[in-house]
Amino acid sequence: MRKLPRSLRFYVAASTLYAALVFFAVQFIYALELAQSGIVVARRDNGDLLSSIQLVSFIVWLGISLIAAVIMHRLATALAGAESAEANAKTSEGQKDQELGSIFGLSSALAGPLDLDQIGGYFVAAVRGAVPADMTLALIVYDDVLEAFRTIAADGPRAPALKDQSYSTVALPSIVRIRVIDHRQSLVLPDTSADPALWAKVSEEMPVLSSVRSFGALPLVSRERLVGALLLLGERAGDLTPDKAQMPVIMGQYVAGSIHSALSVLEADARADREALVNRIAQRARASLAPDEILRGTVDELAKVLGVTRAVIAVGDSEARLDVLYEWTADGVTPLGTAPRDLPVSRMAARLGRTIFASDVRDDRRFTEPTIASALAKIGVIAIAATPIRFGGQFAGSLAFVHTDRPREWSADDVRLIESVGQELRGAIAAAEAFQQQRAAVVELERLNRAKSDFVSIVSHEFRTPLTGIQGFSEMMQSEDLTLDEMREYAGDINKDAHRLNRMITEMLDLDKMESGRMELHREPVDLNAVVSEVVEHVRPTAPQHPVSLRLDPGVGEISGDRDKLTQVLANLMNNAVKYSPDGGEIVVSTRVEGATAHVVVRDHGMGIPNEALKSIFERYGRVESVATRHIQGTGLGLPIVRQIMQLHGGTVWAESTVGEGSVFHLTLPRGIAASSAGVEAAS
Amino acid sequence: MNRVVFCEDDPSIRKLVQAALRSTSHEVHIAEDGKRGLSLIERVRPDVVFSDVSMPEMDGFELADAMHARPDLAHIPIVFMTASVQREQIDECFRHGAAGHMAKPFTMAELRARVGQFSKS
Repeated sequence: MRKLPRSLRFYVAASTLYAALVFFAVQFIYALELAQSGIVVARRDNGDLLSSIQLVSFIVWLGISLIAAVIMHRLATALAGAESAEANAKTSEGQKDQELGSIFGLSSALAGPLDLDQIGGYFVAAVRGAVPADMTLALIVYDDVLEAFRTIAADGPRAPALKDQSYSTVALPSIVRIRVIDHRQSLVLPDTSADPALWAKVSEEMPVLSSVRSFGALPLVSRERLVGALLLLGERAGDLTPDKAQMPVIMGQYVAGSIHSALSVLEADARADREALVNRIAQRARASLAPDEILRGTVDELAKVLGVTRAVIAVGDSEARLDVLYEWTADGVTPLGTAPRDLPVSRMAARLGRTIFASDVRDDRRFTEPTIASALAKIGVIAIAATPIRFGGQFAGSLAFVHTDRPREWSADDVRLIESVGQELRGAIAAAEAFQQQRAAVVELERLNRAKSDFVSIVSHEFRTPLTGIQGFSEMMQSEDLTLDEMREYAGDINKDAHRLNRMITEMLDLDKMESGRMELHREPVDLNAVVSEVVEHVRPTAPQHPVSLRLDPGVGEISGDRDKLTQVLANLMNNAVKYSPDGGEIVVSTRVEGATAHVVVRDHGMGIPNEALKSIFERYGRVESVATRHIQGTGLGLPIVRQIMQLHGGTVWAESTVGEGSVFHLTLPRGIAASSAGVEAAS
Repeated sequence: MNRVVFCEDDPSIRKLVQAALRSTSHEVHIAEDGKRGLSLIERVRPDVVFSDVSMPEMDGFELADAMHARPDLAHIPIVFMTASVQREQIDECFRHGAAGHMAKPFTMAELRARVGQFSKS
């Protein structure tokens, strides 16, 4: 089939020929009919009337034919436009041979639901036919989800610089913003060199326009709403004139409605997404009490819905110091890391106690101060929205969403969403923190309870041993035939076990007293060396396998202390040294002077104490329980008592040990009679 | 008459056991820890062993395990005397193959009856 449309001249020639043919045919049939019917036209009228009728009918025929020619021509071009627009959008091949686009073709192409990219494709292809082949076309639409203009279709030599770009309203040249976006008027500049100052400014604001010689920006308005604009970039002056812009303007009116519908669908989807998000966050906050989980889930999700490239939760007790607690980043965005960072906008939100948002911090007066600007540039912030997080009126941190890729206009919806999530989050975190504190308290109570029951079992075990003797011997005295000597002997055994039991009970009560602060020292001047030697002499005969050497520094002299309590301390340490070196070994007890302090050291060569237990052995019931110590008797109160007595004296006690080589216990006490009270103060 | 070995580290209880069983016909041998107890058992081949659990050198459970590892001693029943009345520790005794458990403090009647239970028929 021959390609349509042919030129208008073809149609005119064809229809003129057709009109002439019809005229002569009619003329011939008319003459024939007249002759047959025998009608003779009056001589008077010979030629003139007939020829004028013939002339009039010829002119009428010719007119009808010419009108038909024009109609056919139009129809053919419209059909061709529709076909080529469709073909162009589908194949996206350069359609340079296309002569003219058409409104008819476009409107038929736009029938039925389409997405934005398809609409853009049809539109640009249709406009292409109405403008010079080297003119660049770009369709930008206002994307409510992005809150910026987005290029959805571009064609022409400058298209690569325009494709897939988005422009916040402020990023568009101000003349376009004011004339086209705000006032919805077409802007057509047939020759950009006519006003060099204006064009220099436009080029600066949008560099892709710098060498454009004629320019047009046409608003696309549907139902009172500006949905986008068509940008026309001509390479020569006069490529675009108000007349030449008429066709694209009319096409724009058709396409605006379709863009509006497509945008509405997108917006409805986005709104549904946001509602689903808030629901999910609320659900998670109810279902989970782990703050980490709430934070991560919420921030990740919100960041994705908002389409930002970074989301940061920073915490701190004051705005001056914020640590990144959790951070989400889009692929390819460098994380800040959890180190303390200068986060000026989060700080500002914290200081002002409200959400701070900026569409582009680089040209925002609030952030032009050099230290702030450089801090923001360092972490790549372009657009940001930050909301403070507070617990019970106290500042606790901030939640921030950041674009490192592009500016962004934050809508009221965005800010509401961020704030409501911030609320949800702070509630959830507060609940979780309270829960964690409670859990910690419960764990502590459980630990104490376990320690208590451990103690009860240790004590009951220890108590039962002397009780066995007391009960058994007394039973025998009661029921057996015994000599007086046997009676006496058993009574002695009972007495010994009773003493043992008493000692255990006293220890427990002493510690209770000391720990609750009800124990008082009977202070007097005490010769520390004398106390040490007394205890050593007392222990020596009971430990034949343990040679004890004494190294006393006579300079230690007298200290102010409770003689009985200090004796108890030394006795406990000596007994431990013997007890925990079951294979024997030398025990060295030494005293020395260190400034205002008297230092006593008890060193054994026993089993030693594991490193992790060096502190806990001084805790109540903190006795090391192991295979090695299982058969060593003790209430687990000896060392806690030592520590309490030392504290009451303003002194200290600590242990050093290597497992398998022995232990060293150090005591320090304030020297001299007068120094002791100062020591107490220093210790407290 | 039974031959009995006692292992007990507490001198007071050792003395009590000795005194309480003196008037019976049982032959009583006493050791102060598990290690000495084991060599005593090897020597006297008792009908029954009574042992404390917490002892230096070798505790009661180690003694029981050592006896069960020896074919010539494995058949000798062992009764644990513990100061613990907690269920899990008593269970622990039976896991180590105890023939019985005696809680401290015990009466002399109980002691004599327990020792008598294991007489050779």
